[in-house]
Amino acid sequence: MMRVLLIDDTPKKVGRLKAALIEAGFEVIEESGLTIDLPARVEAVRPDVVLIDSDSPGRDVMEQVVLVSRDQPRPIVMFTDEHNPAVMRQAIQSGVSAYIVEGIHAQRLQPILDVAMARFESDQALRAQLHARDAQLAERKRIELAKGLLMKMKSCDEEAAYTLMRRQAMSRQQKLIQVAEQIIAMNDLLGS
Amino acid sequence: MSDSTRRSDVLDWVNGSDAPEKSVLNLGFMALTDSASLIVAATQGFAQPYGLTLNLQRQASWATLRDKLLSTELDAAQVLYGQIYGTHLGIGGPATDMAILMGLNQNGQAINLSAQLMQAGVTNGEALHQHVHHDGAKLTFAQTFPTGTHAMWLYYWLASNGIHPLEDVRTVVVPPAQMVEHLQAQRIDGFCAGGPWGALAVDQNQGFTVATSQSIWADHPEKVLGVTREFVELYPNTARALTMTVLEASRFIDENPENKRSTAKLISSSEYLNAPLSSVEPRFLGHYQDGLGNAWADPHPLHFHAGGAVNMPYLSDGMWFMSQFRRWGLLREAPDYLAVAQQIHQLELYRQAATALDIKIPAPMRSSTLMDGKCWDGLNPERYATSFDLHALSTRSGIAN
Repeated sequence: MMRVLLIDDTPKKVGRLKAALIEAGFEVIEESGLTIDLPARVEAVRPDVVLIDSDSPGRDVMEQVVLVSRDQPRPIVMFTDEHNPAVMRQAIQSGVSAYIVEGIHAQRLQPILDVAMARFESDQALRAQLHARDAQLAERKRIELAKGLLMKMKSCDEEAAYTLMRRQAMSRQQKLIQVAEQIIAMNDLLGS
Repeated sequence: MSDSTRRSDVLDWVNGSDAPEKSVLNLGFMALTDSASLIVAATQGFAQPYGLTLNLQRQASWATLRDKLLSTELDAAQVLYGQIYGTHLGIGGPATDMAILMGLNQNGQAINLSAQLMQAGVTNGEALHQHVHHDGAKLTFAQTFPTGTHAMWLYYWLASNGIHPLEDVRTVVVPPAQMVEHLQAQRIDGFCAGGPWGALAVDQNQGFTVATSQSIWADHPEKVLGVTREFVELYPNTARALTMTVLEASRFIDENPENKRSTAKLISSSEYLNAPLSSVEPRFLGHYQDGLGNAWADPHPLHFHAGGAVNMPYLSDGMWFMSQFRRWGLLREAPDYLAVAQQIHQLELYRQAATALDIKIPAPMRSSTLMDGKCWDGLNPERYATSFDLHALSTRSGIAN
C-alpha cells in the first residue's frame, strides 16, 4: 500500500481530502499545520509521497519543501485552490513533483500520484547523473594536480607524467585516481 | 595534434552540444586478455575528460552478457564479432538490431587439445584427422558461443584439416574461464577460446596449443565494442565519446612494451581476469609456448590498435562471419551481406571519433588469405560461402559442384 504523508494548512478541508485518499486505497498519515518540522516527520514516517494541501503555498511552505527535497528526497505533490503560474514555477523549482490546482476527486488521485512518482524518479536519475558529472570533474582535477606535481618532481612533460602515473597504477593493479592521491599525499608530506 | 589542443577540444565535447547524453555507463566484459582496452579505459583516467564514468561489470558467460546488453542492464560491452551478427540476425533467439562501434582487438585466441591427445601422439591437424577418421575416436570440442568467433575458428580449422565440425566431432559451449577445468575433468578433448585460458592449460600441463587463431587468419577480427542500435540512436554523443575513450586506451596499450607489461599486470588482478600473471603476460607480449616444446615470438600477436588498423570496423570482417554462418547452415538463405554489415557497423561515428584523435582510417573492405589458401575480400560473399568442400549448407543452390 502506498503511504501518503498529508500536510494540511486548512483544517476545514482536511476531512474531505483524507477521506478521498483512504477511499482510493492509500495509507494516510496526517499532519495539520505547517509549523511542524517537516523534514523530521518525513524521516520518521518514510512516506512514498508527501502531499501538501495548501490554500496559499507561501514562503514557509516552499522553505519546508526545499529542506525535504534536500535531505530526504521524496516525491512532493502540492494541491491548491490558487492558480498562479509564478507560484507554480517557484514550487516546481523548490522540488515539487506535481502541482494541481483543483478540487479533489478520489478517482483522480491515483494517476496524479503515479505521475508525480514517475517524474520524481526521473528527477532523481538526473540528479545522480549530475552527481556523477561532479565526481568526474573532481577526479579529473585531482589527477591534473598530481600530474603537475610529478612534472615538477621529474622535470618531464605532461604526456610523460601521465604515462608514468598510469604505468605505476596498472603495475599495482590500481586506478589512476589512487596513484594521483598517493602523489598528492607524498607531496604534502615532503613539502611541508 | 598536440595534447593541449586535444584537451580543449575534449572540454568542448563535454560542455557543448556534443556532451554525452548519458554520463555513467555499465560496461560488460569477460575474463579475457582481449578485454584489456576496456579495463584500461575505465580505470586509467581515459573516460573523465569525455564526461564519462565507466563501471566495469564482469560477466560469467557470453549468453548472459548478450542478455544484459539487450535488457539495457549493460550499456555497452566487449562482444564476439560473430555474436553481434547472430543476435542481429536472430539466430537462435529473437532478432534485435545491434551496432558495432569499433574493433577491440585482432588475434590472440587459440585451439588447445588435451594432454591425453598429446600422449596419444595427436599433436597436429593431420594426426587429429587420422585419429578421428581411422581410429574412430569420437571427440568433444568446446567453443564459447554458437555464433561466436571461437566456434568459427574451430570449425574453420577442423574443416581445413578434413574434419567436419558438425558430423565428425561433437561441439559444446563452455564459458572461457571454465575451459581448463573441463579439460582437466576430461569432459572435453579440446577447446577454442581467448587468452589467457590456452596458456593456462599449457602452464598447468592440462593440454597444448595446436593452433593459434592468427595461424588460421593472420590479423583476424575478434572482439568488438558492441551496443544495441537503440543505444546509438538514443545516445549518439555518448557512443562517440565512448569510442574515443576506448580508442585512446587502445593506442596507449600498444604504444610500447612497457605499457603492455603494465597492462598485463592490471588485467590479471582478481577483479578482472583473476589469472596468474605468468599465464597472462607472455602471450600478451607475443611470446608463445605451445606445450609441445616449441617457443616463438609471434609475428601476429594480440594487438589493440596498430595505428588504427585494428579498430576500424571493416565491413568485410563482419561479412565473413555471415559467410561462415551460411556455410555451416546457421543461415538457411543468403543474407544481403553488404546491407546487413552497413546496418551494423557505425562507420560514420567511427570516422568522427578516429578523425578527432588523428587516427588513420583504412578502407572499409580488406583482403586476407586464410590458412587453406582461400582469399577473402568481401566482394563475392555468397560465392565464397558456398565454395567450401566441407559445409552444412541447407539450400544447395548456387553451389558449383
